[in-house]
Amino acid sequence: MEIIKNFPCLSILMCMFAAIISSALNGKWAKWLNAFVLTAVGAMSLAVLYLTVSTGESYIYVMGHFPAPFGNEIRFGSLEAGIAFFFCVIMMLSLNGGRKKLQFEINPSKENLYYIMVDLLLSSLLALVYTNDLFTAYVFVEINTISACGLIMITENGHTIEAAARYMIMSLLGSGLFLIGICLLYDLTGHLLMSNIRVGIDAIVTNGTYKAPLLVTIALIVVGLAIKSALFPFHAWLPNAYGYSTVSSAAILSSLVSKGYIFLLIKIIYRVIGFDTFRDSKIINVLFVFGLAGMIMGSLSAIRENDIRRMISFSSVAQIGYIYMGFGLGTTVGMIASIFHILSHAATKSLLFVSGAGLTDVSGDRKEFIELTGAAYRNICAGLAFTVGSLAMVGIPVFSGFVSKLLFSQAAVQNAHKLLPTLIALAISTILNTIYFMKTVIRIYTPVKSKYTSVSVKENPLYVITLLCFVVLNIVLGMWSQPITDWIAQGLSVFA
Amino acid sequence: MEQILLLPVVVPILAGIVLLFKKEFQQRKALLVFVGSVLVICGGLAFYGIFAIENGVTLFYLTKTLPIYFKLDMLGKFFASVVTVVWILAGFFSFEYMKHEKNEKRYFAFYLIVFGVLLGLDFSGNLITMYLFYEFMTLTSMPLVLHNQSREAIMAALKYLFFSFAGAYMALFGVYFIYRYGTTLTFQAGGVIEASVLQQNSTLFLVVTMLMLVGFGVKAGMFPLHAWLPSAHPVAPGPASAVLSGIIVKGGVLAVIRVVYQLIGVEFLRGSIVQTIWLVLTLVTVFMGSMLAFREPVLKKRLAYSTVSQLSYILFGLAIMQPQALMGSLLHVAAHAFIKTALFLTASAIIYRTGAVRVEDLRGIGKGMPVTIWCYTIVSLGLIGIPPASGFISKWYLATGALQSGVSVFSWLGPVVLLVSALLTAGYLLPITMQGFFPGEEYDWKRFVGKEPSLLMLVPLLILAALTIVIGILPNTLTNVFETFAGQVM
Amino acid sequence: MNEIYLFVVILIPFIGGGLAAALPWKKRTHMLVYLEGLVTLTSVLVWMLLLNRPDGVFTLLNFTGNLTIAFRLDGLGCVFAGLVSFLWPFATLYSFEYMTKEKHEKVFFMFYTITYGVTLGIALSDNFLTMYCFYELLTLVTVPLVMHTLTREAILASRKYLYYSIGGAAFSFIGMIFILVYGNTSEFILGGVLNPEALVGRENIFLLIYVMSFFGFGVKAAICPLNSWLPQAGVAPTPVTALLHAVAVVKSGAFAIMRLTFYCFGTEFLRGTWAQYLLMGVVMFTIVYGCSMALKETHLKRRLAYSTISNLSYILFGVVIMTPLGLTAALSHMLFHAFMKIASFFCAGSIMHQTECHYIYQLDGFGRKMPKVFAVFTISSLALMGVPGLCGFISKWNLASAALESQNVFAYIGVGALLVSALLTAMYMLNIVVRAYYPAADFDYNKIKNVKDPNWMMILPLFVFVAGIVIFGLHSAPVMEILTAVAAGSF
Repeated sequence: MEIIKNFPCLSILMCMFAAIISSALNGKWAKWLNAFVLTAVGAMSLAVLYLTVSTGESYIYVMGHFPAPFGNEIRFGSLEAGIAFFFCVIMMLSLNGGRKKLQFEINPSKENLYYIMVDLLLSSLLALVYTNDLFTAYVFVEINTISACGLIMITENGHTIEAAARYMIMSLLGSGLFLIGICLLYDLTGHLLMSNIRVGIDAIVTNGTYKAPLLVTIALIVVGLAIKSALFPFHAWLPNAYGYSTVSSAAILSSLVSKGYIFLLIKIIYRVIGFDTFRDSKIINVLFVFGLAGMIMGSLSAIRENDIRRMISFSSVAQIGYIYMGFGLGTTVGMIASIFHILSHAATKSLLFVSGAGLTDVSGDRKEFIELTGAAYRNICAGLAFTVGSLAMVGIPVFSGFVSKLLFSQAAVQNAHKLLPTLIALAISTILNTIYFMKTVIRIYTPVKSKYTSVSVKENPLYVITLLCFVVLNIVLGMWSQPITDWIAQGLSVFA
Repeated sequence: MEQILLLPVVVPILAGIVLLFKKEFQQRKALLVFVGSVLVICGGLAFYGIFAIENGVTLFYLTKTLPIYFKLDMLGKFFASVVTVVWILAGFFSFEYMKHEKNEKRYFAFYLIVFGVLLGLDFSGNLITMYLFYEFMTLTSMPLVLHNQSREAIMAALKYLFFSFAGAYMALFGVYFIYRYGTTLTFQAGGVIEASVLQQNSTLFLVVTMLMLVGFGVKAGMFPLHAWLPSAHPVAPGPASAVLSGIIVKGGVLAVIRVVYQLIGVEFLRGSIVQTIWLVLTLVTVFMGSMLAFREPVLKKRLAYSTVSQLSYILFGLAIMQPQALMGSLLHVAAHAFIKTALFLTASAIIYRTGAVRVEDLRGIGKGMPVTIWCYTIVSLGLIGIPPASGFISKWYLATGALQSGVSVFSWLGPVVLLVSALLTAGYLLPITMQGFFPGEEYDWKRFVGKEPSLLMLVPLLILAALTIVIGILPNTLTNVFETFAGQVM
Repeated sequence: MNEIYLFVVILIPFIGGGLAAALPWKKRTHMLVYLEGLVTLTSVLVWMLLLNRPDGVFTLLNFTGNLTIAFRLDGLGCVFAGLVSFLWPFATLYSFEYMTKEKHEKVFFMFYTITYGVTLGIALSDNFLTMYCFYELLTLVTVPLVMHTLTREAILASRKYLYYSIGGAAFSFIGMIFILVYGNTSEFILGGVLNPEALVGRENIFLLIYVMSFFGFGVKAAICPLNSWLPQAGVAPTPVTALLHAVAVVKSGAFAIMRLTFYCFGTEFLRGTWAQYLLMGVVMFTIVYGCSMALKETHLKRRLAYSTISNLSYILFGVVIMTPLGLTAALSHMLFHAFMKIASFFCAGSIMHQTECHYIYQLDGFGRKMPKVFAVFTISSLALMGVPGLCGFISKWNLASAALESQNVFAYIGVGALLVSALLTAMYMLNIVVRAYYPAADFDYNKIKNVKDPNWMMILPLFVFVAGIVIFGLHSAPVMEILTAVAAGSF
């Protein structure tokens, strides 16, 4: 059992080393190494999850030999372990789903670079999840940004380079704000370790001093991370970045990268600022409003879109709006809903990207809707999977989206002031989601005499299995959500 | 025993349905024999029911509290007798007349069905049964209206249908309320709603009564929903227009009597705003109908307008809510039924024999069809109200009733309008007689020679003319009965 | 019977329908026999369940928290399940013949049969969540049916149908959340489950939520202004329009509203509030609006669809009276309208099947050439108008008496709306009848000499429905007794 406690640190290091080693390998080996690392990390996270759930406690792992408040720490409870495991699963599936297409999307000589980026990304995500040190978090935020940019740019076309540049600028802006926030925190409390800052902040709050600086700090951190996770109105970089990068990149970026930041934000809210302090600040109202606006505006943009990939990307803007709206409700239930939505959105969005790629593949690689007509008949699996993803997005029972909707609304009902706007925005957003997703579904099921050839199920077993896994994941999230919400609640309870 | 009451209702309806579906009756002879025997048998059964059966019979329940219930009270007996007599006579008349129309089988089928339905209407012992037959009366008489399937006829039939249903549904609104607040739906002299309930909900009931009056008034051609009548009645085949104008409109009258005298009760209505409005409407209709008839050049249409006017005589008498006026109204029901049927039958005979439809084409017709035109003249005098024909008696009662009623303005305004209208009636009916017998100079004498119709047409006409006179001379039997009735309900 | 059968009857059509599409049928007849057998089996099982009702609840799974997917057969469910399971085998029989002229039969029958299961699911739901799930599912499985012909029109129609239905469900979702959070239980209990303490001081919010979810479910029940999907969805094959868009789907909406009003929010709370008046106003408007639009429409099926819109609001009118009598009346109209409308739709379908005539002006003289079909059509028209002696009268009578009994003056106006609508119904239905039986005198019958009645597979269901119309019209007491008991919660 003791050995398991080393796993979080080990998995971060493993990823980093894999990245380093991959630079010396060719594409194929890099791929295998990456697959191995992913599996190993997944397994280790699962073990950690088992440990933390079974004991119901959280653990601190001291890096090196300096104890707090000087040393660097890793902290893991059940929530962190679960999220890490989930990230591995999604990443694995997303990579598998886009594996075949990757050959055509990037220059084969750059394949190992691609996997380096993926490895780095994973390591930074894991670090964001596990770390107990704000400055470490900042470092990995930057690593995350860089590797994400690499993933976006690697297709080497004009759109992606532009998108990557935009992404870089917005991200740096975000991390800049984040950094200032950290500095201010350090200024206020003299610490960088989360638990220690928390003690300091609690003292400040009880004394009632430094109100304005504290507010500014919270605002800076929240806004910084919100920019990085593409909360409306900071989403301008997103559609192109997701829309034109490789399939796997898009899936990973939308379901993991932004979620990594959001998870970091949750961690900061609970472990650094303190949930009550956060709730009492005005920031949550701002988040709430932006969340609602994002839900609506993202969907409206998606409706106007004529490119399936960009449409799915805009849908991400809306979904991130949901998550922030959950923050904005300022209740633990709302937080649980948001975390659940992180999971459900990750599972759904990557499914949509991967299956969407399957549909565009059989439509001459065109992403316009008109070309997609009847695509579901040409690639049956992708069609079905896309339908499932759409239904989940719309929030049809059985699929994961429904549960998040349920949780959000239940959370909203407990907040008398934000109840009506939330519920109405949810309903409207559902309608808007229906409009663009169902339009697409009907479109792909409209038969035409097409000039494109169809693919059979057998041609690409890996792809089909990936889709199947995604679908199952969605249904599991949708049908047996009780253990998951229990786990989230338990994880949150040991957070503070 | 009282189940016999059902027979005259059910038998014609079934016979009609059989006619519709059996191909065997394409042959004229078989058809006529069948129709004739059904008419006679059912007439007999009806009269047996009218004179011999006192008890009511419940057929079945629509819902738990809605029985389909037949019971013949005095009013039902009276109406049923009139219906039976006229229906049989007009039926025999049509044996001859229908030779020049197509689809005889269908005509006779619906003729029989409507007969049954009308008897059902008259036999109804409660509101819901009456309403049922009222609706079916509209539905089943519609095929008679559009029989010749010209575009005009179809449009007229639809107009008839929609006006009637509009009326029926207005009435149904009232039915709901009477059901809700009344003690029963069975007709009772003096009303079924307790006085206290009426007082509590007086506004509601005034509205409801008005709606029911206007609604059922549609059938009786009362302004403002009379417009269907002049288009629907003339387009039907002759005998059908006769019974439509003579009999079916009386369905509306019957319903109005039932509502006012046997459901709501006159106590509540007398002196109310409803009575005033109703009186105004009837008088307007009387005058307007006569004026329109006076201006109308087509004979059948003229007669139809005349119906509008005459029906409102009856309604006026009812609206006065005074025993004498009520008697006058009831008498006028019989008188108008016989007279208007006879008039329409004359018009049909003329059309059948000569094809003339416009009044100005009829100059000199008396020379060729003397018997017909004499009948016409006699019944016309009856309608105008010249003694000894029946119209005189009924109008006499109406006028005296009005004068004695004490309803402020209308006690004298009513008789004045009736008188003016009588003059107009003379003005639109008598020119035919006069020009018929005295066509003046420059006239082709040969045109109508030998056009006298056959006995099958003449006999019904003569009987109707005779009935008009008989009622005029010997009204006592009827007036006695009516007096008792009026005493009961007021 | 054991509670598990409650789930079995839902499952059979699902699996059976799926198999129908998956199995390689050698002959069409085999598939038809199989399908009819399947549907009949389900119906028989449902009726056996109705006759010896399991008292307990069958819980399929725990969703989250105390939310379960569970089934139970209560009075209201009995009525709806009984209705649906009676109509379905006949409608299936009818569609066998109808579908000979359409393509993709297998897929059609698959979804058609699955819809049966879903509808039963709605009827047998024990709690709001289960009903909501099946409600959403109903939208999804019926979309392929609307889309069936795959013409541009059909695609647009199905798209609209989807948007409207899911959008509506999104709003009724809000109501569900409230019931889940503030209800004592999420099970359906006559009289409502709202926790009275939660209500204090927040009545308006609750009413607003009620109105929202009413409109949400109202989408399926096609209340104005959310009705435009229904006439458009008429592009679907007639068995779909007849069974689904006149009975199963739209009545699910009405059924859900009954559940919402009587079993969740509770009429005690709602009666006499602004919400009631508002909804009553909307419903009355829809009643008249539907009829007026029907009168304007010249496409036969669309006219019937508008008529459905108006008639559905009759049901809802009964519901918003919010008394047990109102519920009884609403249920009776739900039952009777199903018979009347499915009969008239099937007539329209037979006409389309035999002649390809879609518009009313093409129907001149058909009465003589298709005597059976038009006899049925005439009777159903008369019933829709509410002629006494046919079932339409009974339900209208019930609605009106419920309205009067409620002592709610606003409801009196509703009675007026019913009657105006009856008149308009007379106009738009009899117009067709008159045209068919009495074409203008110069009409040339040779033009339609090939027109004839369809075969028994289409005629038999028609006659069964007409028999229902007449029997319910003449002898409604037993049915009404049951419905009264249901509304009183004693069934």
